Amino acid sequence: MIDSILLIDDEDLFHMVFEDACSLLDITLSLQGVYSADEAEERVIEWMDDPSKKPDCIFVDLNIIGSSFDGIEFIRRVNHKYGNGVVIGIISSSCNDEEIDKACSVGAQFWIVKSDEIEPRLEDFKVDFEGYRDQTAPFKVYK
Amino acid sequence: MKLSAEIRQQLVSLGNDRNIWMEGSILKLLDDCDGEFKEYITTAIEKDSERRKKRLEITKQVQEKNKELQEKASENENLMVELKDALESAESAKEAALSDLDVVQKKSQFKLIGNIVRYALWVILGTGIITTALYAGAIYAGSSETTLIGNTWSNLFGILLTNSFSIIGTVMGVKYANKDED
Repeated sequence: MIDSILLIDDEDLFHMVFEDACSLLDITLSLQGVYSADEAEERVIEWMDDPSKKPDCIFVDLNIIGSSFDGIEFIRRVNHKYGNGVVIGIISSSCNDEEIDKACSVGAQFWIVKSDEIEPRLEDFKVDFEGYRDQTAPFKVYK
Repeated sequence: MKLSAEIRQQLVSLGNDRNIWMEGSILKLLDDCDGEFKEYITTAIEKDSERRKKRLEITKQVQEKNKELQEKASENENLMVELKDALESAESAKEAALSDLDVVQKKSQFKLIGNIVRYALWVILGTGIITTALYAGAIYAGSSETTLIGNTWSNLFGILLTNSFSIIGTVMGVKYANKDED
């Protein structure tokens, strides 16, 4: 089980879906949610001072309405600017190859496609998580 | 996480007597569960699971409805844009039709004015020819009234010339005014 997860998504309903799916699938003990990339960046900066608050995994939406940058830019900042070394990937309804390549190039470890049936994808992700944590699993798209 | 026997008993009583159960991730953190409390935890997890399943189902339905509403709103927006375009093209067609009608009206007005001028000039010319012929005839016949006819001819010719220039001037004025309007 993943100890803690941070979800960054502007859609309130998806937070509820994700929370219930994670609980039903025993994916995580602690789930935190933020609604903008800017707020998430503030959290990342806080973790630099206090790493104990850092989650094990971050799921970030691609297009976060109300944020000054998108999910790919957030991943780039986390990996290159702050060097947080956290398992991080995109969760989006988009399945655009160009965007997927871009996310992979900035250090995203996975891409989960949001749909009505998110549970099987999260279940697969749960199985692969240890590989992402020790950096042995390759980038994967969960369609 | 361990709970004291007293708290365990209180939780079990709350569950059995008042149907109040623990929920969420805390259930996964409790250790050393046995006997009645183990049964309580199992029931609480089942109830929590059922609630989450129901909520997940409802949330998904709401999400689906939201998606449909968004699609419909987008369709409406497209229809509004199409409607606006159609209205604009109808308005420009109306303007073109009104402009064509104006041109047709002006053409028929010019034609009418042209006819009036032509007939007026023919009348002027005819009157001039007849009067001149009458004057020439009187001179040729050696009439004693040539002075009177000459004066009359001169007056009549002057009036005819004035009138014809007046008609032409009016017609040119009308044409010039219409050009300015265009």
